[in-house]
Amino acid sequence: MHKCFSAVLVLLLLLTGGTSCLLAQAKPADVQSFTLPNGMKFLVLEDHSIPNANMYLFWKVGSRNEHPGITGLSHFFEHMMFNGAKKYGPKMFDQVMEAGGGSNNAYTTADVTVYTNWFPGTALETIFDLESDRIRDLNFDDAMIESERGVVLSEWRTGLENSNYRTLHQQMLSVAFFAHPYNWPVIGYESDIRNWQKDDLQQYFRNYYAPNNCVAVVTGDVEVGQIRQLAEKYLGPVAAQPAPRKVHTQEPPQQGEKRFMIQKDVSSPNLMLGWHVPQATSPDYYALSLLSDILSEGKSSRLYRSLVDGRQLATQLSSDMPVNLDPYLFTVFAAAAEGVTAERLEKGILEEIEKIGREGVEERELRKVKNQQRVKLFRQLETISGKANHLGTYEVFFGDYSKLFAAPAEFEKVKAEDIQRVAKQYFTRQNRTVGILQARVD
Amino acid sequence: MADKKGEKSIKPFRNAFFLTVVLLAAMLLPFAAAAQDNTFRLPAYEKLKLKNGLTVYLMVQREVPLVYVRAVFPAGAARDGNQSGLAWLTAESLTYGTRKMTKEQIEEKVEFLGASLTTIAMTEAAYLSSSFAAQDTDEMLSLLKSVVAEPVFDAKEINKRRTRMLAELKQAKEKPREVIGSYFSRFLFNDHPYGNPVKGTAEAVAALQPRDVQRFYAAHYNPEGTAIAIAGDFDLRKMRSKIRKLFSDWQPARQEIVAGAATFSRDAGTPTQAKVLLVNKPDATETTFLIGGPGITRNNEDYVAVQVVNTILGGRFTSWLNDELRVNSGLTYGASSYFTTYQQAGAFAISTFTQTATTTEAIDLAMKVYNRLHTEGPDPKTLSSARNYLKGQFPPRYETSGQLAGLLTDMFLYNFDQSFIDTFSQKVDELTPERAMEIIRKYFPRENLVFVLIGKADEIREKVSKYGEVTEKAIKQEGF
Repeated sequence: MHKCFSAVLVLLLLLTGGTSCLLAQAKPADVQSFTLPNGMKFLVLEDHSIPNANMYLFWKVGSRNEHPGITGLSHFFEHMMFNGAKKYGPKMFDQVMEAGGGSNNAYTTADVTVYTNWFPGTALETIFDLESDRIRDLNFDDAMIESERGVVLSEWRTGLENSNYRTLHQQMLSVAFFAHPYNWPVIGYESDIRNWQKDDLQQYFRNYYAPNNCVAVVTGDVEVGQIRQLAEKYLGPVAAQPAPRKVHTQEPPQQGEKRFMIQKDVSSPNLMLGWHVPQATSPDYYALSLLSDILSEGKSSRLYRSLVDGRQLATQLSSDMPVNLDPYLFTVFAAAAEGVTAERLEKGILEEIEKIGREGVEERELRKVKNQQRVKLFRQLETISGKANHLGTYEVFFGDYSKLFAAPAEFEKVKAEDIQRVAKQYFTRQNRTVGILQARVD
Repeated sequence: MADKKGEKSIKPFRNAFFLTVVLLAAMLLPFAAAAQDNTFRLPAYEKLKLKNGLTVYLMVQREVPLVYVRAVFPAGAARDGNQSGLAWLTAESLTYGTRKMTKEQIEEKVEFLGASLTTIAMTEAAYLSSSFAAQDTDEMLSLLKSVVAEPVFDAKEINKRRTRMLAELKQAKEKPREVIGSYFSRFLFNDHPYGNPVKGTAEAVAALQPRDVQRFYAAHYNPEGTAIAIAGDFDLRKMRSKIRKLFSDWQPARQEIVAGAATFSRDAGTPTQAKVLLVNKPDATETTFLIGGPGITRNNEDYVAVQVVNTILGGRFTSWLNDELRVNSGLTYGASSYFTTYQQAGAFAISTFTQTATTTEAIDLAMKVYNRLHTEGPDPKTLSSARNYLKGQFPPRYETSGQLAGLLTDMFLYNFDQSFIDTFSQKVDELTPERAMEIIRKYFPRENLVFVLIGKADEIREKVSKYGEVTEKAIKQEGF
């Protein structure tokens, strides 16, 4: 599939001492993996196309590990990881990294907390030093906790101020989930953000920030041997901890349609529908993903063609088959066109989905979304950051990084009957939650 | 989900530079430059000019079997005249059918191949961007050629899009961050074309007709003013001949229509007094604001030096603005500053947001930081850190073929050349603290700043009048 340089070019490469292009077009065998005695796992993919490297650390802790009272703590903790440890005090993590030519960010989801470092290859050891300092000896400075609380409250506020999607999605989770901790938003409740304590953070650090709860991915202008050596030196001495308590709560089957309403001063209704679907490791993941593409990927997708372009009931429309550790929600989001009611838009969306359950999909349509998935993999592997993020995601959510490379083959296996089957099985009235955000109607 | 840093996403930078450069040098290409050291250099590329005037850039990049195409047309919103939104509607309408295919057929074909195709107008120019698997190159290039040179502007589709644009204009105002830039540009540039809102205003959009779109296309889409860059996995010789064959028969439309302002005055209207635009959103829980003034053109000789200084002020996480407004005070999730650059002018802005109650506290603090830039300037240690940061983050900005195609079309549009890439590190290193002070005095506007605030006016109206003469608008009021 992956083409290589022509013979002449390869010859030139050899003559000039360049590395083979095979390195650039990654395949599973190029990924090297090792685990330190303390349980910290490393994935390394060399890519010398630019003189830069990335280190992504995937910690297996997210808002699903919280409970009421400390909702949002995983995300707040993520912020606190930048606020000082033993060797590098408050602000120094960022100062040292940026002075070394690097930059960083981090993100928290319901399942994981991921720290992302992007830096010139020459700064590699500095990055290990910075990471090991905070993983080993994170410190919680009282003043930093308070200013960071303000930062997170601002993040919470600005998210809702600027996104109807976010406003709907938070409520969707709270209505659709009865038992599972996916019930609350990743950022947490305002009152929890205002009230959690230093003890909560310290407890979190002990429970979840142990090397055996982490997968680190390094990609770019590095060498595997060098990574192994630095990992042993900087992270080897960090002690393993007992495995964190498993999230054992399961969401019981939903017993009937749930509906909710949010009143906000908007020009047209926004609508979100959610259905309970299985986790990423389920055999149905691939069929559900393709179903999502058939529904909303591009202008030739069913929902767009029918509702945005054809009947002009919506101005925008999307669907999402999520990647999660536990069963989550497949969602459809739409903004109504001017003068269109939420009821009419909802009916239009449901008709299209029910039609797939009734009549199935066309072969050409299925071929289209499989083609899209194949090209998508190339796009995911275009950058060293794409490589790092996707390798880590597949390792954590699908159980093995090599499933990233196997994804196109898994999608190929899906038949039209499978799409029809999952449409019938999951998209029932009993299994769905409907949320409407619209201007007040008295 | 929830990010730690309110920063814009990192701009990665890259490509197989040493390999490609050596290869193409060996093939005697005109722009090949041998890499003498470890400094990042632009991969070799070829530039052609067809007889009809079309400029073509070709750059071979084989890391993944994808091809990226980016075309730039001198057809941005700055050329809207009094038909606000026309450039936007025209750019989108390029894909609404060609002599050979309907809109639906185009969409079906592109998406069946897993390809992407977007046509969009920005302030300065309009762009076509496409990417596809290398094996589909012939099919996609022929489709793209039709979209560029043979659009039919189906009236029914254009009218549908216009209706949707009108709804989108209202929906956008539900999200302050989505519209504050349009308010700021209009307020800063006044009647200058760079103040035109890219997606138009409701009144103007409602009046747009399919024939206006046809006229705008005829006036502004022509081979002479256009550049197409193709970067990715292809054979250079074959691609060259394909492009010649495909695009040579693209002829400019009849020249009876006089183009809208072909060039703009460099004097985009410097504000003569400090002024405040307060946009009232009664249900706002926070105030979103931009503070700024005139900036620089993209091809300004000090562009890189300005970037270094701006990195210190508001271009990275440890920047002074973010450090004060976020890290030290917890007033906001993020504070930054940036320069928007055009051919003839530019804008500088400080950007942040805070809860309604701390509006003036945040603005005062931002101004204190900004004044410190002017009075103290950067210390040598901070300057050195900023230099390293910019150099270290530079390669990932040109990592993918898509980014490189974007760079090539920018070079065409803004009239700069590859020395921008090749001398970037050197220019970054040359900036001394003394020179930085000169840059600050010359390019970071200090007097007559404009303040644009979107928030709950009843609670902040009185307090913000200290920054300048206040103009107030309701957010639902049409236009910007």
